[in-house]
Amino acid sequence: MPDTSRTAISIQALKKKYKQVEALRGVDLQIPTGEFFGLLGPNGAGKTTLIKSIVGLVRATSGTLRVFDYDVQRDYLKAKAMIGLSPQEPNIDRYFTVRRTLEFQGGYYGLSRKERRRRATELMEQFGIADKENDEYWKLSGGLQKRVLIARALLTSPKILILDEPTAGVDVEQRHELWHHLKNLNKDGTTILLTTHYIDEAEELCNRVAIMNRGQIVEMGEPKTLIRKYCQEQTKVYPGSLEEVFLKVTGKSIHEDQSLKNGKD
Amino acid sequence: MEKINFRGFLTLVEREYYRFFRLAVQTIFPPIITTLLFILIFGYSLGEKIQTINNLPYILYILPGLAAMGVISNSFSNSSTSLFMARMDRSIENILAAPLSHLQIVGSFVIGGVTRGLVVGLTTLIVAKVMTPLTFSSLLGTLLSLVLISVTFSSLGIIAALWSEDWDHLATFTNFVITPFLYLGGVFYSITMLPPFWQKVSYFNPIWYLVDDFRRQVLGIGDLPAWQSQLVLWALALSTFLMAVRLFQKGWKLIH
Repeated sequence: MPDTSRTAISIQALKKKYKQVEALRGVDLQIPTGEFFGLLGPNGAGKTTLIKSIVGLVRATSGTLRVFDYDVQRDYLKAKAMIGLSPQEPNIDRYFTVRRTLEFQGGYYGLSRKERRRRATELMEQFGIADKENDEYWKLSGGLQKRVLIARALLTSPKILILDEPTAGVDVEQRHELWHHLKNLNKDGTTILLTTHYIDEAEELCNRVAIMNRGQIVEMGEPKTLIRKYCQEQTKVYPGSLEEVFLKVTGKSIHEDQSLKNGKD
Repeated sequence: MEKINFRGFLTLVEREYYRFFRLAVQTIFPPIITTLLFILIFGYSLGEKIQTINNLPYILYILPGLAAMGVISNSFSNSSTSLFMARMDRSIENILAAPLSHLQIVGSFVIGGVTRGLVVGLTTLIVAKVMTPLTFSSLLGTLLSLVLISVTFSSLGIIAALWSEDWDHLATFTNFVITPFLYLGGVFYSITMLPPFWQKVSYFNPIWYLVDDFRRQVLGIGDLPAWQSQLVLWALALSTFLMAVRLFQKGWKLIH
């Protein structure tokens, strides 16, 4: 259960402008320690910009962003040490082997050689990629590449795990396996921030979700509460689902949203 | 006091070493072979037709320049390729998201470039020592000069990799900036052999000062007063390194 007395991620009036485009238009968000939080939104809503702002890959135009009381700009080393990120697009040296990729990651975060070797072995077994440890990343299938990205994010046992569309392009079985891992991690106290286009995924995993549209959070709450609030009438999806809430809040039609299922932000 | 992530820094350096030693056939051996060919051509073929310079056989005169040329092109190419590749495959984003300071990140790229520069430069000098009657005026000075030249061009490689938007840009920087300055930087001749106008032009070529200092450390002779070439060498090494760190701090073309 989330510990509401301590905030893991605190965002206030966050704005980001790229030349003419306002990617974030005053985002306010508090995520307590131990929460499994979902960020939903159509393509271009600002989800990835928000995530990149948290890990310091995007510099906000204004507003404040703190990770466990550390300002992500001023105390960036301390803030980054708390986070494990699995990005939407691979950001990996494609010619490094799986083991080396994982062990280097441990090194960047200050783990000893012995510890990073142990964690890499443990995670490769956990994610079913132990037999690929000496394969170069680019030679792996899309599903296995996703697993490496998630294993890499977990290598340092981060207090906050950020997953940007971790199950896009992953088959159903692997998706459910990952859900199982994530539920266990969250149970053990890891705060998880997840963005996804699979609404059922957010409904299944998250304590709370925020729906973003055009750079703003337009709705936020527990999935069940939102479903009660928005789903009193029969719709074309099925009665009383988070998917229906999403469509109503973002003003998308069901037909329009079909592309989102396999799309990217 | 804040704890420094020293292991993180060493891992970054290890990553650089792993990258270029893994590709040693492409990164280490070709420049050594090129220098050997230069020694053969200029030393045993064309060299005999050219007069001595400062009472030294032509091949001995150009040896430090040849070694410096290898150091310059390799340290530049190492850091520029490594960072540019990391920008292209976005692996730099993973490094930027880790708890590593900008100084540590730039430092690791520079150490990678310096190591590759030193490996190439020292191997060239060792081979030259075997093949020619080369003697060193100052071993320590030679080493220091090699390190400072490598720092300068590794840092410049970082700046070029940040500036470049594609491989063509990077090649443009190499072909139209580094190579002409290098070949007109006194590697193959003494400035006293040039007409007065071109002697004056050479004063605007920073590589000339570096080659001249390195030649002084190896052979004990140079065109410039020692303090002048030393001053330019230190100034270039410091200014290019600090500029690379500053660009990382600003997140130029890295953080949006």
